[in-house]
Amino acid sequence: MLQYLIILLDETSTSFCHYENANQERKLMPLDVLKEGVRFGMMENLMIQFVYPDYELPQAYQEVVESIDHSKIKPYGQEDADVLIVNGFQKVKADVPVVLRITKQELFVHQEEIAVMLGDVPRLNVVLTDVEAFAEADFETYKKVLAGLSSEVEKLYVDGKSPQLNLLTDRMMLSQMNNCGAGDTSITLAPNGKFYVCPAFYYENEADSIGDLEHGLGIKNKQLYKLEYAPICRHCDAWQCKRCVWLNCKTTLEVNTPSHEQCVVAHLERNASRELLRSIRQHGTFLPEREEIKEIDYLDPFDKRDTWQ
Amino acid sequence: MNSHELLLLYNSFVHLIMSGLKGLQGEWHEEASKNITFIVTKDCQLACKYCYLVGKNTKERMSWKTAKQAVDYILSCEKDMTEDSVIFDFIGGEPFLEISLIDRICDYLKMRMYELNHHWFNSYRFSFTTNGLNYDSPKVQQFIAKNDHHLSIVITIDGNKLKHNLNRIYKKDGKGSYDDVVKNIPLWLEQFPEFGTKVTISSADIPYIKESVLHLFGLGIHEVNINVVFENVWKEGDDKRFEEQLMQLADAIIDGGFYEDYVCSFYSENIGKPLDLVLENQNWCGAGMMLSIDALGNFYPCTRFAAYSLRSKKPIIIGNVRDGIDKNKLRPFLTLDRTTQSRQECIDCEVASGCAWCQGENYDAADTNTIYQRATAICKMHKARVRANNYYWNKLYRKLELEGMREEFEKSKPKSNDVIC
Amino acid sequence: MAMKKLVGQVTPEERSEIQTLFERRNGLNELAKILTAENADLYEKLVKDMGDTGSKFQGWWDRMAEKYQWESSENGNWEINFDTCEIYLVTA
Repeated sequence: MLQYLIILLDETSTSFCHYENANQERKLMPLDVLKEGVRFGMMENLMIQFVYPDYELPQAYQEVVESIDHSKIKPYGQEDADVLIVNGFQKVKADVPVVLRITKQELFVHQEEIAVMLGDVPRLNVVLTDVEAFAEADFETYKKVLAGLSSEVEKLYVDGKSPQLNLLTDRMMLSQMNNCGAGDTSITLAPNGKFYVCPAFYYENEADSIGDLEHGLGIKNKQLYKLEYAPICRHCDAWQCKRCVWLNCKTTLEVNTPSHEQCVVAHLERNASRELLRSIRQHGTFLPEREEIKEIDYLDPFDKRDTWQ
Repeated sequence: MNSHELLLLYNSFVHLIMSGLKGLQGEWHEEASKNITFIVTKDCQLACKYCYLVGKNTKERMSWKTAKQAVDYILSCEKDMTEDSVIFDFIGGEPFLEISLIDRICDYLKMRMYELNHHWFNSYRFSFTTNGLNYDSPKVQQFIAKNDHHLSIVITIDGNKLKHNLNRIYKKDGKGSYDDVVKNIPLWLEQFPEFGTKVTISSADIPYIKESVLHLFGLGIHEVNINVVFENVWKEGDDKRFEEQLMQLADAIIDGGFYEDYVCSFYSENIGKPLDLVLENQNWCGAGMMLSIDALGNFYPCTRFAAYSLRSKKPIIIGNVRDGIDKNKLRPFLTLDRTTQSRQECIDCEVASGCAWCQGENYDAADTNTIYQRATAICKMHKARVRANNYYWNKLYRKLELEGMREEFEKSKPKSNDVIC
Repeated sequence: MAMKKLVGQVTPEERSEIQTLFERRNGLNELAKILTAENADLYEKLVKDMGDTGSKFQGWWDRMAEKYQWESSENGNWEINFDTCEIYLVTA
């Protein structure tokens, strides 16, 4: 069921996920489109997430934004954000959740600094911008990096803090799949007044729209964005996985099928979460309502497809 | 000792006769086989009206260099291609237009499989579906003589002259090709008596089904494998006309006693039943488990995903002879199941078994760029087939019971194959 | 006209063994048609392989005949049906 409407306020609105927004030329969403978008959100009972560019909006836009309950996704450095986006590694402090968009190499190199940042932000979402480029050797490194970060998270918990790092702590807290939901629970309104599955589809191919404000939504084969229609994912318990439908499309040509790389990365995180949960519990009661994360003998559910029924 | 002497010595040593090895039409390891298709040419002498190959042309012919690269790559993937057997399929256009290239590829395959101690050397076939026009040419006949234990050759003939010439016409002048094909049938049957033919039914062919099948039986072809095209070509009332033809054919086969030695794949005891959601959830089509290679050296999950087969979608290229297979692009194919791609109506269908689909046509006809949307253009035709099929078996078994012959028939009844593409 | 009589049956495993040898024999046979002594190494390998495969092939029939004690005839040969694993005695 649709719950969220992401509104890209400008052609240069910051990327907050795997995709890149290479647009340099500022071009605000027309004010009437913004108004219509907000109206659509109200009528469909959707929570609106505004994605900001790196400059201040005109007063008229701010008034429309404030006319509805919403959250603001802004580039790091801006005021009054609900989520801050950092593109490329840099040390940050903030009192709102931070999305750190970095490459795998940046993560590998800055592992220790990232561990320190966990104490400086209420929540850190690390988004790897080159998941599809992971090779076998990278998986090994990633496993080690997660183990290193896990030790730091454990220490913070022992010190009575509650750090949140999506790669490690999300899976511990979850009892079911919690994916991105693009095309299923969320859609995106672009500055051109058209709807897209997510911002990535807009920036990749403007012709790939799924409706517009005038005619409404028309998602073809919309069932394919749901978990039940994803043969690999519905057999998976790496519940923290973004299950990025755009990356799926890019790597396997199907929105419902993840790549090997996405699956292995998600399972390395899952397994690291398993170890973290066990370690924290050695210090005392922790998340008693959550079961242990099971030990499994695979990193890619695809390899177990012969056992699916 | 030359090769010929070597063979004589060897054959005289192995003196016990063995039989029971049918070709690909029969039981030859089909389920455990990898199917590798070389699209050697996109040219054909004919311009069949129902042909799904929308992009046929005279320019795209596979070069030896590409073919060799493909063989080298495929044989280097033994670790990933673990199927017990392999079928090397050569298609076009018309494959025998490139018989010299095919001969060279087959020789190279045999040599390299042997040199590499590849497990497929113990279990391979070269397979062809041909229009039969140059079947009797010296080059084709030399090739057959050289590879006769490893061949499956199907000549496509659509039935009687009228039905065949309705669709299978020459590209150059629109003339029917029946006479030029049928002259080669006796030679083909002499060389491959157990092989069947393949017939494709489109809307305009419906009135000729009965006559055509009986005609093919009359030519000495014991197995006639038929399918209706998957494309959305059907007109209002076609299902009724189709059903009527199949009922008439059922009567003719039973009353004429053809059921003892002849098979028409329209009638199968396994079709027309509901399917279990869990236990019978497998995909029908083998796309993705197969591999097709075109003249440019691109790999496809099946020929139907190459550009020349597609009306409205981009080709799905899963790699090439230089870079190999992108395994990520195979994942959707290898995890595809029946229910995920089917509409609720199909999942709940009481006569679902035997209702086929072609992944390529599904993709081509889908509302988005997906293989996960099942095309259902043949729905009414399948239901008509099921009704006629029920009639056939009820009538046949009653007859056999009255004659006290049912048990004997059950033991020795000829088998048919479900042919879908 | 040849007469064909069912005289026994082997197990599926035994069938698979002879089927593989049969396939290999045919493969070697057809490879021999294109291979010349100029390709010395491969030719050597082929000659040896044909001998080995022939021996294994013959060995299978000897072992099975001994094990199952099938009916035989002076002018006859045994045949196997790979689909059913059945053994037939075929006489001229």
